[in-house]
Amino acid sequence: VRARKVKGLRPDAQLIDAARRILAVRLGEVESFAAAVTDPADERALHDMRIAFKRLRYVLEVTRPCFGDAANEAIASARRFQDILGEIHDCDVMVPMVEDHIQRLRMEDLASVRAASDGNVEPDAAALRTAPNRRRYRGLETTATYFRARRELLYRRLMRELGGGRWSGFREGVDTMAGAGA
Amino acid sequence: VAKARDIPGLDPAMSFAAAAALAVETRSRELLDHADGVLDVSDIERVHDMRVATRRLRAVIEIFSSCLPKRERRAALREVKTLADALGERRDADVAIAALEGLAKSLTTEDRMGVKSLVDSLRARQQEANQDLAGALAAVEEDRLADRLAGLIGAGEPVQ
Repeated sequence: VRARKVKGLRPDAQLIDAARRILAVRLGEVESFAAAVTDPADERALHDMRIAFKRLRYVLEVTRPCFGDAANEAIASARRFQDILGEIHDCDVMVPMVEDHIQRLRMEDLASVRAASDGNVEPDAAALRTAPNRRRYRGLETTATYFRARRELLYRRLMRELGGGRWSGFREGVDTMAGAGA
Repeated sequence: VAKARDIPGLDPAMSFAAAAALAVETRSRELLDHADGVLDVSDIERVHDMRVATRRLRAVIEIFSSCLPKRERRAALREVKTLADALGERRDADVAIAALEGLAKSLTTEDRMGVKSLVDSLRARQQEANQDLAGALAAVEEDRLADRLAGLIGAGEPVQ
């Protein structure tokens, strides 16, 4: 998702005033995905929320001298949310990758059996013994199951964190930085 | 992942434009410093660190966009994005291989066969991505990205 435009950023403005404006917009971006990510199947929203956390964190890393310890705390929290969301994303990548690989192995074996049975009415069952990938399926289904289970556990952890003090503390912290003195 | 470098001289009361010059300079240097050993597939953190450095640099170019000349800014963003994409392709393969090899340690010998076949195909992808990355790094040199970044912030000397 494209970053929201921050209006009114004049080159001659004080850094701290510009930083507050940017933080307010970036926090709004993160918050805008909070409802959508309660649907565990919404991979897009989970991915977009991760990117939004990342954008906010990069702003804080640059403008840290404006906000002191409050910035460090918010960076640590953003990092934690981003890490969980990143690990969920990795599982969302791994499961179809494993499934695609299984499918590719099947297609190669099918082509091999088909070639060995060329001209026959029935496929040659003996050709299965020489199918190139016959020993390469072991463990792949288990691997996909592992990443599905891992994703479920990570998602539960995310929901706990979003429903707890870390999320509210993060929002309040960034909101205070964005609004203080504005 | 490498921590973001502090930006020396940054002050809350300074102008946004002055902060832009400092931030772009620090993040540019950070990116170029991470190029060493990035093609070594035995140390996957190097690619990760350089990729994060491209993101941090793109972030500051976007944050301070109102202070940077439009044409130069767009050209720099385009070049950094090309490099980031090449790093991303390598990183995707690195992450998948590491995850599968980590998991394989807990599997039976028989079950490792399938995982190995997937890792083998990912290794081929990793090599391909590494060749593309080598090309992207060479392009950074040839196109004098360091000079462009220096031009972006109006500095006389290229970022080394």
